[in-house]
Amino acid sequence: MRKFLSAKALIGLALVLTVVAVAILSPLFIAPERATQMVMSARLQPPSLAYPLGTDQLGRDLLARVMLGAQTSLMIAVLAVGMSIVLGLPLGIISGYFGGRIDNVLMRIIDALLSFPALLLALTISAVLGPNLQNTIIAIGIAFTPFLARIVRGEALRVVQMPYVEAARAAGTRDGQMILRHILPNIMPALIVQATISLAFAVLAEAALSFLGLGTQPPMASWGLMIQASRQFLALAPWTALVPGAALAITILGLNLLGDVLRDVLDPRVR
Amino acid sequence: MAYLVSRLMSVALTLFLISIVTFGITNILPGDVAMMIMGTQSNPEALEGLRQSLGLNDPLLVQYGRWIGGMLSGNWGASLLFNEPIAPLIAQKVLASGLIVVMTMIMALAFAIPLGVWAARHRDRWQDTTSSTVALLGLSMPDFFIGIMLILLFAAGLGWLPSSGFVDPSEDFLGAVRHAFMPSLALALGLMAHLTRMTRSAMMGILNQEFIRVARAKGLPERTVVWGYALPNAIGPVMTVAGLQIGYLFGSIIVIESLFSYTGMGWLTYQALLNRDIPLIQSTIFVIAAVVMLVNLAVDLLYRVIDPRIRLG
Repeated sequence: MRKFLSAKALIGLALVLTVVAVAILSPLFIAPERATQMVMSARLQPPSLAYPLGTDQLGRDLLARVMLGAQTSLMIAVLAVGMSIVLGLPLGIISGYFGGRIDNVLMRIIDALLSFPALLLALTISAVLGPNLQNTIIAIGIAFTPFLARIVRGEALRVVQMPYVEAARAAGTRDGQMILRHILPNIMPALIVQATISLAFAVLAEAALSFLGLGTQPPMASWGLMIQASRQFLALAPWTALVPGAALAITILGLNLLGDVLRDVLDPRVR
Repeated sequence: MAYLVSRLMSVALTLFLISIVTFGITNILPGDVAMMIMGTQSNPEALEGLRQSLGLNDPLLVQYGRWIGGMLSGNWGASLLFNEPIAPLIAQKVLASGLIVVMTMIMALAFAIPLGVWAARHRDRWQDTTSSTVALLGLSMPDFFIGIMLILLFAAGLGWLPSSGFVDPSEDFLGAVRHAFMPSLALALGLMAHLTRMTRSAMMGILNQEFIRVARAKGLPERTVVWGYALPNAIGPVMTVAGLQIGYLFGSIIVIESLFSYTGMGWLTYQALLNRDIPLIQSTIFVIAAVVMLVNLAVDLLYRVIDPRIRLG
């Protein structure tokens, strides 16, 4: 198991680092015009020396687009998950730490929100606000908040019962201090695990939103948009779907593997 | 009994909160129903008149009261996009999606249970690794991408299945299943990861127990021990996870039905969102959230009935 685990960790880490490196570096080396430049004479070209991954229906270089798409995808995912942490962490801690009536009211609302599938919530918010880059982030961020709040609350409930919290309370520690010094650091492991898994889901959600036209908008380089555009030419040029699809699968697989490994290592509830 | 009553009370409360969320979200929309009906270029006075007659100038609380009253009495209003009363429209689409949900669950369990059992029987060996790799791959491929690959393979390539559309099961059951097959398969491949993992861990817990050792010592064939003795005891948690996945499924179904032009509930919701058909948005998302909540309740209750180890109380 240990052997498999470390192989899993290495693969996950390698995949994630690769995607992160591409996301950070490719804007430095690839001029944004490369991804939007249309070459009418080179439409739907299969992979070749000039275009290693082929071109799309407008003659745009798929390699450049898929590499710049990594930035779009990761940026949205990181910001959206960050937003759900900013919103969900205080909610979860307040609920779990203070308990009682506050907890009751907050958890009722969270339960109601959890009845909405996250993707439906994100789609609705994005449609309501008007689909663009910024609103895609907001939509996914809000949609993920109930999950995060739920997990944080559970962890806070667990930590509050620990002897060291009782000891700190006996020593006269105030609520604010208690939360910052004792509760927060001890829910961090679970938060990190959840954030990693949420990143995978956020990448997926962004792709789904963009695929449906309710996320990022053309001509932005986004994997979901690329798959959407490929639909018409699927039989003619399957690589236009395979390239962004593989990029998505690699990213999500990497994040899932990493999340799994982190859970095995960090999460006190496992084993 | 006390448990059931308190559970039903909390269901009512959650439904109420769901309705508030639904109404709240659709009211942050810039523009309103009057604008949707008349278009943005319309005469401001006529627009104001329509607003007045639709009651859009009333306080939000009054508007909410009118909306929820209508929902409760079965008067769900009319869709602006389809020009049809919403309630029968939704009823028909729910049935169409029901076929997909059922087929997806059957397929997902048909993949996940054998794979999970296989992994549990060969813990930490290559079979286990293979099983978790397959599950992880399913989890990592976006279902709409799987859908596109299926279209490429089964429709464009082999020509075995129709690439899109919907057939009413009451008219042509086989045709309906054929049209629902690819959407369901795409959803099932995404869904099976969690189910496989749950089957594996539940089976591993059971296979270590005393009664399994006794069954083996009696000389029962391994097949009987695994499928007849262990699996029935491991199926409860798997079913619970399957129930919890319903929420996830209803999110994905929007994408998949749109991809396959399968005119069910997901497709309807998407059309409503895309065209900002506010009354239809309100009704579809309310229905989906309510269904998700009720399915979770049903799973929970069913689990308590099936498994005597959990007491109602």
